[in-house]
Amino acid sequence: MTADRAAAGVIQVLGGILLAPMIPGLTQQIKARLQGRPGPSPLQPYRELRRLWHKSGVSPRPRTVVYELAPSLVTASLLVALVLVPIGARSPDWPVGHDALVLVGLLALSRFAITLAAWDTGGGFGLMGASRDLTFTVPAEGVMLLAVVLVAMPVHSTSLVALSLAATRSGVWGQPAHWAALLGFLLVLLAETGRQPIDNPDTHLELTMVHEGPLLEYAGRELAFLQWASAARHWIMVALATELFLPQPGPFLARLGLLTVALPLWCVLLALTETTQAKMRILQVPLLLGGGAVVCLLGLASWFAGGGV
Amino acid sequence: MPAQAWRRACLDAHAQGGQFGGLFASRRVPGAVQVRALFSTPAGEQLITCEAAERGVDTIVDAIPAAGWDEREAHDLHGIDFAGHEPLRPLLDHQQALEAWTVPTSGQDVHQVAVGPVHAGVIESGHFRFHVVGERILHLDVRLFYKRRGLETAATGRPLEDGIAYAQRMCAACSVANTVAYVHACEAALGCEPDEHVRRGRTILLELERVYNHLNDVSAICAGVGFAPGTMAYAALKERVQRLNHRLTRHRFLFDTVKLGTGSVTLDRDQAAAMRRELATIRHEHDSYWRELRFVTSLQRRLDGVATLSTADAVRLGAVGPVARASGVHRDHRHHSPRLLYHGFAAAVAPTSSGDVAARMNQRALELRQSFDLLDELLCQPAAHGGLQHVRPVSPIGIGRVESPRGETVCVIENDGGRLAALHLRTGSYANWPILAHTMAGELLPDFPLINKSFELCYACADR
Repeated sequence: MTADRAAAGVIQVLGGILLAPMIPGLTQQIKARLQGRPGPSPLQPYRELRRLWHKSGVSPRPRTVVYELAPSLVTASLLVALVLVPIGARSPDWPVGHDALVLVGLLALSRFAITLAAWDTGGGFGLMGASRDLTFTVPAEGVMLLAVVLVAMPVHSTSLVALSLAATRSGVWGQPAHWAALLGFLLVLLAETGRQPIDNPDTHLELTMVHEGPLLEYAGRELAFLQWASAARHWIMVALATELFLPQPGPFLARLGLLTVALPLWCVLLALTETTQAKMRILQVPLLLGGGAVVCLLGLASWFAGGGV
Repeated sequence: MPAQAWRRACLDAHAQGGQFGGLFASRRVPGAVQVRALFSTPAGEQLITCEAAERGVDTIVDAIPAAGWDEREAHDLHGIDFAGHEPLRPLLDHQQALEAWTVPTSGQDVHQVAVGPVHAGVIESGHFRFHVVGERILHLDVRLFYKRRGLETAATGRPLEDGIAYAQRMCAACSVANTVAYVHACEAALGCEPDEHVRRGRTILLELERVYNHLNDVSAICAGVGFAPGTMAYAALKERVQRLNHRLTRHRFLFDTVKLGTGSVTLDRDQAAAMRRELATIRHEHDSYWRELRFVTSLQRRLDGVATLSTADAVRLGAVGPVARASGVHRDHRHHSPRLLYHGFAAAVAPTSSGDVAARMNQRALELRQSFDLLDELLCQPAAHGGLQHVRPVSPIGIGRVESPRGETVCVIENDGGRLAALHLRTGSYANWPILAHTMAGELLPDFPLINKSFELCYACADR
């Protein structure tokens, strides 16, 4: 058992850091194939990180410590968030615990840091992107909390380890509440990772940017950290989607096997969504997320109607 | 025409149904400036010329808003004042302060977003200044002419044959339309009429240009909403037409294909049949892609009701080309082009033309069908060089009009014994740029790339 937990710890840290760029890379590759292009290799994000790592940094003027600290703060909060997510329902006893609400808070903290940085330099496109990002995030966080509440209800805990253990129970999949939570969470996944139909990761058109906007001023290693953080967000969201919502076997190794299969499958799903869906009109995104909230609330109602406690 | 009678004459021509085709100024001798306005009626062209001795004439922009950019350009280039055009903002002159060329806006939370002239992509140089409240656009000021080459002035004094190169280099994507308009103007001045072979060759080239441009526009609209499968499919079709261009003329953009006094397209029966077959497969694939696009809800929902141009506004502001027809205006110069082979042509206007982005995209599909039909018919016979016939005496002025993929392109030349005394080219893009800015009011900032692509205007055609 302790060996399982140690192994889970290693995957949390090393997997999160090293494998995270694989998720957007693989998604791009599958997307290109679906569109009839050869596309870049799935390793492209790594090459970009290497390129950025060897470039010198440029900083805008005026700027303050707020702008300079943002990449470190974002990276730090994502690093902590990595160890919050259990792997195969196991995790070492990290001092930060495994509370889902802490995870939501950390994701919000990184967003807050990057928004402040955009505010600090006052660049038009940075502020525009940051303000759009916040407009989407407020409802997205609400839906994420609702989804967590829905899966937390049967286990009376918001610990991610407990929640992912609960996904092993056979009865969970028969409950409408679980399905509602999954739907809501998938919308959050699209919003958090900045994917179509909510944001277009391929575009660098000034006027349509959401997540790209606040990163415009950064260069060199600072940008490398921020791009890794964006990949880590992908990793966290797909790992959570696997841990909390997929029907899970009991043994650790079987769960690891499922994770290995599920990660590329999530990439296929993201690529399929992006290929079949055009980007939404910007003012309709909050409505879509609002729809996710309604689904979660219906799930909640069904839970209470079913006499669940 | 004296300066006092200028305004009256223009307004009369306009009131009698003359369609405004451009306002040009030229300076022949120091101190004397000539202003000209072109109006076209089904009966023929009417060119009003005025010697502006006092360096100024009355404006016509209040009655003919389409003359707005023309008057601003004439002022910047020749220092002509248009009395009553207040404020006469600079258009080409980039030296002046921001306040001089932008429309003042005020109010709570109004701010400006400036984009370009250097963009985050392979886009030509244009500066867009959006006055916005949140994501909503109040007003858009467009500043182009960053790469103005002064081609019209450079061509002055050259032999008429040499002018073709200048007209052709104004824009790559409209190279055929611009050169055909130019040679039509020259041939009108020389009193010549092209024979059937020349007409057939030029019409084939014009329609090939329209086909690859329209395919490109559909691809660009899909890119504007991030719908990659549509972008890729139509980019591939456009590529195939450009390869066909290359096979026919040795040039993907059909450069150097229009000549004065002769045709340049030669096709024997087999080559013509091979082209017809290739065009038929491209058409077939376009039809099936188009059917699929119609059923992509997420795409169609982005297009409906965005940046609507009403029929009244399209007429009032002088919109041309697919933009005007998408707003329900029955105006297509191919309908009366005796110098080309368009027998019995009628403008394609959808019965429910709503004037929004969706209508402009559908208009492209409608015109593609028309162009494929035309090409199929034109390629039924082999094409040969042909020549001209002299039918009228030589005149000092020649006017040529051609329907380019982006609208009516007008060329006016002054012939001074076989040399160009003046060259003016007003393209469909030049006519439609102010209309794009007009339709932006009330739209969302992130929708601009999409709306821009539904017009798909050339920068080079303006920066001539």
